[in-house]
Amino acid sequence: MAKIIESFREAFGRALVEMGRENEDVVVLDADVKGSTKTIYFEQAFPDRFFQIGISEQDLISTAAGFAIAGKIPVASAFAAFMMRAWEQIRNTVARDNLNVKIITTHSGFSDFMDGSSHQCLEDIALMRVLPNMKVLVPADAHATGVLLKQMVEGEGPFYMRLGRDYTVKVYNGEELEIGKAEILREGEDVFLIACGFMVSVALEVAEKLKDLSVGVADFHTIKPFDENTLLKIAKKANLIVTLEEHSISGGLGGAVAEVLSEKMPKRVIRIGAEEFGRSSRDYLALLDFHGLSADKIAKRVVEVVGRR
Amino acid sequence: MSVSSALNGRLKEMLSEVNNFHFNSSITCLEILKAMMAKKRKNDVVILSKGHSAPAFYVILSELGLLSEEGLRSFASLDGLPSHVIRGLPFIEVSSGSLGQGLSVANGIALASKLEGEEKNVYVILGDGELDEGQVWEAAMTSSHYKLDNVIAIIDRNFMQLTGKTEEIMSKEPLGEKWKSFGWEVFEVENNAEKLLKLLFELDRVKGKPKVIIAKWE
Repeated sequence: MAKIIESFREAFGRALVEMGRENEDVVVLDADVKGSTKTIYFEQAFPDRFFQIGISEQDLISTAAGFAIAGKIPVASAFAAFMMRAWEQIRNTVARDNLNVKIITTHSGFSDFMDGSSHQCLEDIALMRVLPNMKVLVPADAHATGVLLKQMVEGEGPFYMRLGRDYTVKVYNGEELEIGKAEILREGEDVFLIACGFMVSVALEVAEKLKDLSVGVADFHTIKPFDENTLLKIAKKANLIVTLEEHSISGGLGGAVAEVLSEKMPKRVIRIGAEEFGRSSRDYLALLDFHGLSADKIAKRVVEVVGRR
Repeated sequence: MSVSSALNGRLKEMLSEVNNFHFNSSITCLEILKAMMAKKRKNDVVILSKGHSAPAFYVILSELGLLSEEGLRSFASLDGLPSHVIRGLPFIEVSSGSLGQGLSVANGIALASKLEGEEKNVYVILGDGELDEGQVWEAAMTSSHYKLDNVIAIIDRNFMQLTGKTEEIMSKEPLGEKWKSFGWEVFEVENNAEKLLKLLFELDRVKGKPKVIIAKWE
């Protein structure tokens, strides 16, 4: 079947306008990247509820905290890499006070390929996952972005949603998704690929390539609260677990999987993800391949590991 | 400069068992808090951005009859009053302790209340040492950009910060000029509750700009 290419930021920008239409309490705060994150669509639809804070992510987060205290539902949006300079504000005010702030970043992972290592954010899942009260979402495609965004805006307390920029491959056809519940997209017994974000569609491609093996694929779009039950069910039947993420192999999805399994069902886990900072590239998929995150490279690595067992 | 001896004594007693925890930054905050609580209308919000002045805040709460002697004595004990203010205490809308964030939070509340067409002042108490934090100046730009005349910042200008005199650690002067150049209406006054209270009432008539009071302890 032909791949259908989708844009995370377009999906986000459009879905956010829907949220604004449904709920008058939704306000959006920007750090002068509205054209890139596509919160500009919200500004065009609801100019009175759009607040430009300038290139100052720390002020952005704390101002959003003030809106939440006043009873609004603030959506604070910026590039993932630069939102992380407000980690301490997120920690000390948003998470500690359990405020109803919705943080949504774009350009995460390697998706900002052209801008290079300064802009490529490979640490945010770890940084957000460690915070009490914070929920962490990494949608796989445009549909998942819209569905999870709605649940996040309607949900209570602080959320972090991590999106790529302009490229993902369609995974879902209107399925119901639920925060905190992983989706098993394909069953398998030899190897189970556990992925989030764009890597979910890559995982499906890897599974297609490994015709000689029984390969399962699961989308763990919610990194926190983590769906331990689904993971344990997977671990019970699969011989090898492989995690795939556009993020450091430390502290992200792979880390979460390893933490649960080491305590509850010791099992070999191969963590595939970023192992060093990125670099500039003219092409997103070439950059992913350089970092070992193309379907070809992942399939090769899985075969090597299985062969060695 | 003088703080009423009753307040002073209460603060001393409260901190005597905890190695005088932030005594100096609390004592200079007493008169400011006293004036602010006297001025505060029901709807107004007070943010103690210099969260380490919590002891002074508790003394004022006890003055207002909102905290018992026993409550005061529980300071920093496991199930007692937290050493820095947290959300959920009387009048405290946001936890502090990490410097530099209160003015941004105030802006958020002030913007939301303007959106709702409410009459609400948001008072923020900042330390002078706290002004080293860059976020304060990000927020100062935001307040004036949005003409938040419902934001009133009070700087506890005690010329001290943790390890020395402010002008030796990181000079703040000319402080009034800095705020003025950021688009704020600047007022300088002696750190005295009566004078501060009078000024706070006058400030309600200043429209179109955020306002800052530099409360000088000399």
